[in-house]
Amino acid sequence: MNDDAKTLRDRFTPKEGKPLLLDRQMCALRFSPSGKILVAGGTDATVRRWEANTATFTPLPALTGHHGWVQGIGFSPEGSRLYSADSWGELRAWPTQERTPKPLWNVPQAHDGWIRGLAVSREGKVLATCGRDQLVRLWQADTGAKKHELSGHNEEILALAIHPEGKFVVSGDLQGVVKQWDVTTGKCVRELDARVLHLLSRLQDTGGVRALAFDPQGTTLACAGTKPSVGGNVQGVPTILFFDWATGKVKHTASVGNDGDGYIYDLHWHPAGFVMAVTSGNPGVGKLFFQRPGEAQPFFLSTKMANCHALAVHPEGKRLVVCATNTGSNGNGRQLDKNKEYPGNYSPLHPWTLPG
Amino acid sequence: MKKHPLCRPWEHRLSRRQWLGSVAGGTLGALGLGAIAEPLLADELKKKHRQVLFIWLDGGLSQLESWDPKPHTQFGGPFRAIPTSVPGIQVSELLPRTAKLMHHLAVVRSLCTKDNSHSAGVARIQRGDPKNRGVTYPYLGSAVAKWLGAGESGLPPYIWVKPGSSGFITSDAGFLGPKYGAMAFGDGKPPENLLRPPAISSDEDRERNELRARLDRRYAEKRRKENTEANAYVYEMAAQLQKKQELFNPATFPAKDVARYGSHEFGRHMLLARRFLEAGVTFVKVNSYGWDTHGDNFVGHSNMVPRVDQAFAAMIEDLADRRMLDHVLVIMMSEFGRTPRINGHVGRDHWPEAWSLIMGGCGIQKGALVGKTNDKGTFVTSAEHDIGHLFHTWFQALGIDTQKVEYDNAGQPLPLAHEDCAPIKELLA
Repeated sequence: MNDDAKTLRDRFTPKEGKPLLLDRQMCALRFSPSGKILVAGGTDATVRRWEANTATFTPLPALTGHHGWVQGIGFSPEGSRLYSADSWGELRAWPTQERTPKPLWNVPQAHDGWIRGLAVSREGKVLATCGRDQLVRLWQADTGAKKHELSGHNEEILALAIHPEGKFVVSGDLQGVVKQWDVTTGKCVRELDARVLHLLSRLQDTGGVRALAFDPQGTTLACAGTKPSVGGNVQGVPTILFFDWATGKVKHTASVGNDGDGYIYDLHWHPAGFVMAVTSGNPGVGKLFFQRPGEAQPFFLSTKMANCHALAVHPEGKRLVVCATNTGSNGNGRQLDKNKEYPGNYSPLHPWTLPG
Repeated sequence: MKKHPLCRPWEHRLSRRQWLGSVAGGTLGALGLGAIAEPLLADELKKKHRQVLFIWLDGGLSQLESWDPKPHTQFGGPFRAIPTSVPGIQVSELLPRTAKLMHHLAVVRSLCTKDNSHSAGVARIQRGDPKNRGVTYPYLGSAVAKWLGAGESGLPPYIWVKPGSSGFITSDAGFLGPKYGAMAFGDGKPPENLLRPPAISSDEDRERNELRARLDRRYAEKRRKENTEANAYVYEMAAQLQKKQELFNPATFPAKDVARYGSHEFGRHMLLARRFLEAGVTFVKVNSYGWDTHGDNFVGHSNMVPRVDQAFAAMIEDLADRRMLDHVLVIMMSEFGRTPRINGHVGRDHWPEAWSLIMGGCGIQKGALVGKTNDKGTFVTSAEHDIGHLFHTWFQALGIDTQKVEYDNAGQPLPLAHEDCAPIKELLA
């Protein structure tokens, strides 16, 4: 570790707080722009909410009405609206000021099936979604009216992001193809190559682009997933490709861990120029790490949490929450709990506090 | 070679049937069921020319992402359920093409089997999990090859299309002996050196084979019959396959069919399987590997199941169009299902407690739905069915009465399937 990395480590190494244990598994997690509300999208079709002003999370009534898994959540920039998207293809907009809100609008078939990604433009006018139907769709954020349908991927699209300047959307698919779309015309203007994140293992397309995030200046695109070695019980090394946005070339590849460490499921940029990411691999294996582009190793790495699937970063950059999984989540055959019931798994939410 | 001076164990065998025959006048079989003589049964079955397509999704297809969806429930996963051509039966949205053909097929949702490991489970299921009598039972393919024979095609009665290597796989045959093994077409290709090298003329080849046959006969005089038979048999089958090379030459596959079945591995193998069935092969097994989705189960099933759906639906359409479903029994299954519980790797583990399969053709009740699981899909709430029930059902559909027919394992009478099980009547038209 060089001196710069040591300085970063000293400045940004976070401390873990007491986890909040939920009753079900969650797959998405975000803070509101004010940082006052924490929201999670669940595999039980709910959107869970907590008041998050302090280190203690106070639950608010869950939002119901979705089906399947709620994997896409996002806020309007001023925080008045929450958007949520589910695996049955429904997109909803909710007011955030009410304790028991009703949707402002909804599109029941925004996609044919699983919506995998949702992003809101910086000025808040455009909402972008992507899904298993191989389409990116752009929506008018205030009404839910469809603006564009962007087609051209040949596989399901697992992640997307909007460039900070708002002119372009990028989408990444299961085969590691990243497309850059012009928001105004709806045309694909460039393709970036992240195929190293894909493997055809027998009949199975494995891996794919699982997270995309621009740095605050819009000069670097972090494109994350796994370098897969086999399908089935998927094995692979968590990997981030840092694309230079001007040239479209990979300027650095960061692989963190080994084959059993699996996927990077979520990542965010810190204003200080590093990414904060979470991973999930074999049952029980999860990581939170901070990595600066160009460095060989993360300057911070925690392996205490099992199977981390989402990461929420407080807007002030001082608090993080990691959505992980309970330990002992796997096992073959009939394994009943002490009440002789068949057990489900659940997500602990692990809060972390950065120094300062 | 000198004859061995000592006698061998098999030369001293007195079959239990012979013994029973001697003490009971031959009026009772060992099971007391009045077993049918094998040659008579074989003649009868040959006339009917029934065939089997056995599709094996190795590792464990998730029942929740296929034939027993539980959408919007705790363990239901992200996918929707869709209606099928049979009112009241819904399947996963990942199977839209097969859904339209459900009126040809039958779904069983009440499988509850014993083994949650691959190493033991694969063989246990494919051998029908009979009562343990200290003998190795044949896989279904070997059993059917024995009872139905090669038919008039002259082709090997048991062909296995699979990823990986080719060869003659004798281990499937169990106590039936190596002759009833599987001729494996690894990645759709025949075993190495099966085809005559161009440098050898057909006359030279014939002469070489005649010489080999003479030597084989001499060799066989001093050897165990099962092994020498199998050796000669492999050469016979090779000769037959050499005459029908166009069957497995991909260059002869119509582009339209390739597009319908899919250019992926499973699609190519299923199309080859159809050609073998059309040519009269008695039992064709198609394997697909990679279904052990302990990790990333949903993305895995999201792209694998539609590929299976494409090829399986094309096969059912073709068999129905050709009126072959009247005599071809189609079965698609794994060694177990997958856990309702979703682990931290977003995978599902092994679950033999409540899982599903699909089948059709050859007298299987069209559009049947057998069995029920609870709302969460964790356990069977109707009568449970073990693999033994399915073996009885399949033999019955093929015209083999498991109550009357038994194996003769060098004198040891053995039931075809677990005697505590019986055919599932709702599945038999």
